[in-house]
Amino acid sequence: MFLALKELKHNKARFLMIAIIFVLISWLVFILSGLGNGLSTLAASTFKNMQADYVVFEQGSKASMSKSLLPGELTKQLAEMPNVKAVSPMGTIMASVIKGKSTANEDKVDIAIIGIDPGSFLEPAVIEGTGLTSDNMTQVIVNNTMKDEGFKLGDTFQLDGSTESLTITGFVKDQTYNHVAAVFTPIAEWRKIAFAAPGSDKGFTEPVNAIMLQGDDIDSNALNKQLSGTDTVTRAAAVQGMPGYKEENGTIMMMLAFLLAISAFVLGVFFYVFTMQKTNQFGIMKAIGAKNGFLGKAVVSQVFVLSLSSIIVGIILTYGTAAIMPKGMPFMLDPKLVSTYSFVLLVISLLSSLVSVRTISKIDPLKALGRGE
Amino acid sequence: MTKGLQITSASKYYNEGLNRISALDNVSIEVEPGEFIAVVGPSGSGKSTFLSVAGALLKASEGEVKLNGQDISKLSGNQLSDIRLHEIGFIMQASNLVPYLNVLDQLLVVKRMSGKVSTADKAFAVKLLEELGLGTKLKSYPEELSGGEKQRTAIARALMNDPNVILADEPTASLDTKRAHEVVSLIAREVRTRHKAAIMVTHDERLLTYCDRVYRMEDGKLSLAKVESIL
Repeated sequence: MFLALKELKHNKARFLMIAIIFVLISWLVFILSGLGNGLSTLAASTFKNMQADYVVFEQGSKASMSKSLLPGELTKQLAEMPNVKAVSPMGTIMASVIKGKSTANEDKVDIAIIGIDPGSFLEPAVIEGTGLTSDNMTQVIVNNTMKDEGFKLGDTFQLDGSTESLTITGFVKDQTYNHVAAVFTPIAEWRKIAFAAPGSDKGFTEPVNAIMLQGDDIDSNALNKQLSGTDTVTRAAAVQGMPGYKEENGTIMMMLAFLLAISAFVLGVFFYVFTMQKTNQFGIMKAIGAKNGFLGKAVVSQVFVLSLSSIIVGIILTYGTAAIMPKGMPFMLDPKLVSTYSFVLLVISLLSSLVSVRTISKIDPLKALGRGE
Repeated sequence: MTKGLQITSASKYYNEGLNRISALDNVSIEVEPGEFIAVVGPSGSGKSTFLSVAGALLKASEGEVKLNGQDISKLSGNQLSDIRLHEIGFIMQASNLVPYLNVLDQLLVVKRMSGKVSTADKAFAVKLLEELGLGTKLKSYPEELSGGEKQRTAIARALMNDPNVILADEPTASLDTKRAHEVVSLIAREVRTRHKAAIMVTHDERLLTYCDRVYRMEDGKLSLAKVESIL
C-alpha cells in the first residue's frame, strides 16, 4: 500500500487518465444494467411482483399467456393437488383506452388488461383508492403510471374497439405488463372483453389464460401427467415465456458481457503497460532485496485503490444520470444489481492486474545493474 | 565465525551455442569488515558478473560464496532476496532511485520490504541522511537532486539495513571529478567507521587511492594489482 499510494500521489496525471477510462466503463455498465432492469420490469413487473410460485399453462403454449387457454373448472382440480396451498385463475389481453371522446393521438393509451378474482392473492395492494369488488365488474385498479397520462381516481374510460367502459377505483404501483400499464379487472369482466367474438373461447366454460398456484415444491411433472393438456412451470419460467422478454434481456446481457470482457482487456493492457514502464524500478527494488510478493502487493493494492475509487465515482455519476433522465425512460437502478456489477468490475480489474504481477515475478534484478551479460 | 565476504574458487559459465564462455574463472577473494576493495578492468572482463555473484544476484556455477560465514550458493530465490535485503547494501549507478519516493522514503522503503517502519528506523534514516549532508533534502524527489546528491542517497539506502557487505557498481559513472571524489570518500568513510566489507567495481582509476586493495579483472580472472602500477 505504501508504494502504491506514494506513486498514485506522485503521478496524478497518469493515473487520472486510467481512472477516467475506468469511470466511463463503470458508468456505462451501471447505465446498461439499469436499462436492462428497467426494461424487464416494464415487461413483466406484474408477473415478477405476483405472490404466485407456479403457473399452469395450456400444453404447447411455451409458457406464454397469450398462447394459452384453459377451462376455468381446472382451478378446482388443481386446488386438490399435493403441496398446492392456493389457486387463482388469471387472464390477460392487450387493449387501448380512449380518454373521453378525444381523437387526438396522445389521448389513446395502450394498456394490458389483467383479469383476476377480486380479493385473491393475485390482487396487488392499492396505494390509493379501493380494491376490486365482485359486485361492480367495471371497477378497475390501474398502475400509477396512468396518472402521468392524465387519469384520476374515479375516471371512466372507454376501451378502443369495444363498448365496454371501465372506472378507476384505485391505483397500484409497479404493475406493468408487456411494457404497458396493467389494468386489473374482475376476471368475468376480462372474459367479456377478451372473448367478445363468439367462439373465441374455444367453447370452454369460464375460460382463463393460466392458473396461478401458491405452494412450495409442487411437482410440476406430476401435475402435467395428471391433468392432460396442461403445462406447469415456475413463475420465473413464466416470466421468461413472456413475448419478447428473453430477446430483450438477452440483448442487454450480451452488451454487458461484451463490455465487461472488453474492459477486462483494456484495463489489463493498461496495467501491463504501466508495469512494463516500471521494469527498471522493479529490478532495482528486487536487487536491493524486495521480494516478488512485496512488489506484487504494491501493484494489486494500487489497482484496488484505483478501481474502487473509479467505481464509486461511476456509481455517483449513474445516480446523477438517473436523476435527470426523462420519466418515461425505462431505467431502474437496483442497489443489489449495482453492488453486484461493482463487485464484478472490481474482480475483473484485480484479475487483469495479475498479468502484471506475473510480469514482475519474471523481472531479472540483474537488469538493474545497468547491463545484461 | 568469519565475518565479511569470502569467495572461494568461484566460476560462472555461460553457454553460447556450442561454446562455453567463462565469465568468471576460478575467482577467490576475501574481504574483511572495514576493508574497502576496488575491482578494475576493461568492459567485458567479468566485473559485473563478479559483483552479481558476490551480491547474491547470480549463482556461481562452481565454487563457494560465503557471506558472514553463511554459504549462499545453495539458497532459494526468496532466501537470496532476504540476504540481499539484510546482508548486502547495493550502491548502483546514479538514477537508480525510485522516482516517486522522496529521499527519506527511499530509505524507509527498505524497511517496508521486511515489515513495518518503526520510529527508531525513521530516526536512524534521518540521522544517516544528515550525516551524508542530505539533512535539508529529506522531502525532495530524485528529479530535484543533483547527481552527487542522488548517489549520496543511494549510499544512505545501502546502509539503511546495517548490512555486512557494501557493493558499489560504478558509483561515479555519471559524476564529475569533484563529485566523484566526494562520493567515493564518503563510501570509504562509512565503510571504515561502520566496519563494513566493501567492494567497488569501477572504471575510474583516479579513485583507487581510497581503497585498501585493488584487484584487476581480466577475462574472468581476478588478480591483485599494485596501486602504484596503475596510477
